[in-house]
Amino acid sequence: MNRRIPDWLLERYLLDELPEDRRAELRNRLEEDAEARTRLERMRAETEVFLARHPPAVMVPRILARMGTPSRSAPLRLVPVAAAGALAIALFLVVRGGGGEEGIRTKGLAPALVVHRSLGDRAERLNDGALVEEGDLVQLGYVSAGRRYGAIVSVDGSGNVFRHLPLEGELAAPLESGRTVILPHAYELDDAPDFERFFFVAADEPFPIEVVLEVARGLPAHARRLPLPRDFDQATFLLRKPGETR
Amino acid sequence: MALQESIEGFYRRYGPLVYRRCLALLRDEEFALDAMQETFVRLLQNPSGGEVNHPSALLLRIATNVCLNQIRSRKRKPEDPLDELVHRIAALDDPESRSLARALLGRLSFLDSEGLRLAAVLHWVDGMTLEEVARELGLSVSGVRKRLRLIQRRARIWQEVGS
Repeated sequence: MNRRIPDWLLERYLLDELPEDRRAELRNRLEEDAEARTRLERMRAETEVFLARHPPAVMVPRILARMGTPSRSAPLRLVPVAAAGALAIALFLVVRGGGGEEGIRTKGLAPALVVHRSLGDRAERLNDGALVEEGDLVQLGYVSAGRRYGAIVSVDGSGNVFRHLPLEGELAAPLESGRTVILPHAYELDDAPDFERFFFVAADEPFPIEVVLEVARGLPAHARRLPLPRDFDQATFLLRKPGETR
Repeated sequence: MALQESIEGFYRRYGPLVYRRCLALLRDEEFALDAMQETFVRLLQNPSGGEVNHPSALLLRIATNVCLNQIRSRKRKPEDPLDELVHRIAALDDPESRSLARALLGRLSFLDSEGLRLAAVLHWVDGMTLEEVARELGLSVSGVRKRLRLIQRRARIWQEVGS
């Protein structure tokens, strides 16, 4: 048979997605078609090269961003506080010893964010929309509500985006369940204007943190949700700055 | 479908295939990369998502249509006769030709211009037989033949591919 085997069919053969009868038919044709076998091998090689040049960690966030809003880059804004151990311990006692989940608005089974502010030797739990100031020391926590992986990011009034969980790595962090989890780092708020909004994104499968960062970078001011697929659960928490304009 | 599989895993498995398809039709790496992303966006926005038996066939169909739309809007000068044929098929849905297409399609209400263009590309550009086109698109051979005949009536295409 001299008719050229279409690339379309070779692609499907390569992925083993042809029905068995058609696969067998194509296999027979390939045995007699050296040119098609060469194309098939070239496709295999090109696959590796393509994924190296355009890895999922880079391309998937772009694809997801196209589904929502355009992206833009932003520098980090929050400053990790090195000596936050005392506050972390205080918060742990407050949350674990102060009535467990009682004061935490889990809204049914939805994941939730918990935010505390340091007041010297004690911690004040903040409500969504609380007024804060430059220099305040805040510490984040979450309730996973059974979700297995999560990420926490923030967007400030200047549009800058910062990651809080995980601090490093490409994938969302494994979440603990059954309690309020306080992150080990506290942050000193800087002079960014208007507001600081935190997003807690959770899912049952690991996902690239870049997905969340990318959509957060393109988020309109005061948006309350990230443009992510429904597979992601979201919780948000707003801290307002003096003179905030809505 | 699990989240990881639907996004990263899906891209890892099908991204190269979609890119190659787009590059073959668009002949430009940058535009092909853009069309590949658009193809995945359309797949993710598709109510059926990846819940199909053979995602490669669905993705190839979506990618082909994305590329034809892009070709139509870019107005790039064709590089060779095969490229020119792709351009002419892409132009099937031009506003100026839409009324004619509707008239031709009137007797086959289940047809749409996207399906027509797809059948045309598979047969005349990819070189599939009528049987292969029928199997890829889930049509009968006679259904494919009807579509191709409709297209052949279009003068511009007829000159290029008429028998």
